[in-house]
Amino acid sequence: MIEVKHLRKSFGENAVLRDIDLTVDKGDVVVLVGPSGCGKSTFLRCLNMLEEPDGGEVWFKDTQINAPKTDINLVRRKVGMVFQHFNLFPHMTVQKNITFAPVRLGLMKPEQADRRAMELLARIGLADKAGSYPNMLSGGQKQRIAIVRALAMEPEVLLFDEPTSALDPEMVGEVLELMKELARGGMTMLCVTHEMGFAREVANRIIFIDEGVIKVDKPPQAFFADPGNERLASFLSKVL
Amino acid sequence: MELYEQLAQMARAGEELSLWQEFYFKFFQAFLANDRWLQYLEGVGTTLLVTALALALGILLGCVVAMIRVGHDQQRKGRKNPLLGAVNAVCQVYTTVIRGTPMMVQMLIMSMVIFSSSRNYTMVGVLTLGINSGAYVAEIIRGGLMAVDAGQREAGRSLGLGYITTMLFIIVPQAIRAVLPALGNEFIILLKDTSLITTIGGKELLYAAKGVINRTYEAMFPLLGTALVYLTLVLFFSWLLGKLERRLAQSDRG
Repeated sequence: MIEVKHLRKSFGENAVLRDIDLTVDKGDVVVLVGPSGCGKSTFLRCLNMLEEPDGGEVWFKDTQINAPKTDINLVRRKVGMVFQHFNLFPHMTVQKNITFAPVRLGLMKPEQADRRAMELLARIGLADKAGSYPNMLSGGQKQRIAIVRALAMEPEVLLFDEPTSALDPEMVGEVLELMKELARGGMTMLCVTHEMGFAREVANRIIFIDEGVIKVDKPPQAFFADPGNERLASFLSKVL
Repeated sequence: MELYEQLAQMARAGEELSLWQEFYFKFFQAFLANDRWLQYLEGVGTTLLVTALALALGILLGCVVAMIRVGHDQQRKGRKNPLLGAVNAVCQVYTTVIRGTPMMVQMLIMSMVIFSSSRNYTMVGVLTLGINSGAYVAEIIRGGLMAVDAGQREAGRSLGLGYITTMLFIIVPQAIRAVLPALGNEFIILLKDTSLITTIGGKELLYAAKGVINRTYEAMFPLLGTALVYLTLVLFFSWLLGKLERRLAQSDRG
């Protein structure tokens, strides 16, 4: 579903990603870990061109998304993203946050989008917040609504960029729970996170990025039991 | 009225008027005699009209210039659009020249050089004020656009919305709210600056006052009255803007 070949990205002198190769299949739940500044967020953002790669290829299904002629907006409809800081639109109600893009892009009629939004909100138990503004919600609620907003576009892949890092500890659970539910439902996901428990439980692959390349790519059990990489072993000893 | 005629006669006869008689006479002469208050009223009407038109032009110009400049700055590296670059350069020259020269000089250049054959002085004034205000509004709005968290743009774009849609529906509304106090200030400055078009023959409030002064050789009451009218207008609009700001802030909280 996603194929990355020899991806390179630097910021000025700093080569963040040197040579990344990765193939993600439909239904994969890939968790990306690594020391801070290792480029895992940058890598994730290259997958929907929020960062433009300096070299290499990024493919989504049959489209090379970093080719100059590709209409990136069409790709982004199918590649949802959830941000560390939620990035809900503060001047719109929760419902409008969810329905704005699908309606604006002509994918749904307003009534249809409203109905879908209410369904999704009911699913996460926040139907009563439809008319509220984001500022009135807790961090956990905001993030769950941000996830629902991405879902309303009916994406084929969801990218999570540290979705729980900005949350108070007691709110982390509700967001992870929703993500687990999505994973169980067969959603293809790539997730940058520090939640090792989540990685162990939900991921089918965990990837360790260091020095701009993928150093380790293993299923969770093997990943934790047999890191096979000195830097990863030292990283794990710090975070576990 | 009778008292006024009486006092006028006394003055013509060279009689000494008491302080309050003189006050009454001059006040009456400045505002009420010959229905002069109508002239002021007409002047206020023109002042408000000029303000409204110049404001509309200023905001239009300001938004366009701000969007072009921000759009230019946000282009991806290596994919600069040369046309946008050229338009951006024009916008930069515009803001630099307008903000770097006095309004009075711009006004005179517009009326005596560019539109020297036009006799519609008020509209030349509107044009000058609008163009002048646009440069300041552009900088205010540009600041507002840049102050909106980059995550908002990323969120919009990541949903598949285009650059323009994201700008218009997600960034601009938030930017406007953030810069509303500054825009209100600009509006009040503009309202007061309309008095400058008197110098090129625009028939607004100060022009009416000057007309009365020329006829009565008395400056105090017409000028103080004019000042009072401006003050009242400014206070009224400040109050209105305050209300608007509070309303917008409320929708933030629901």
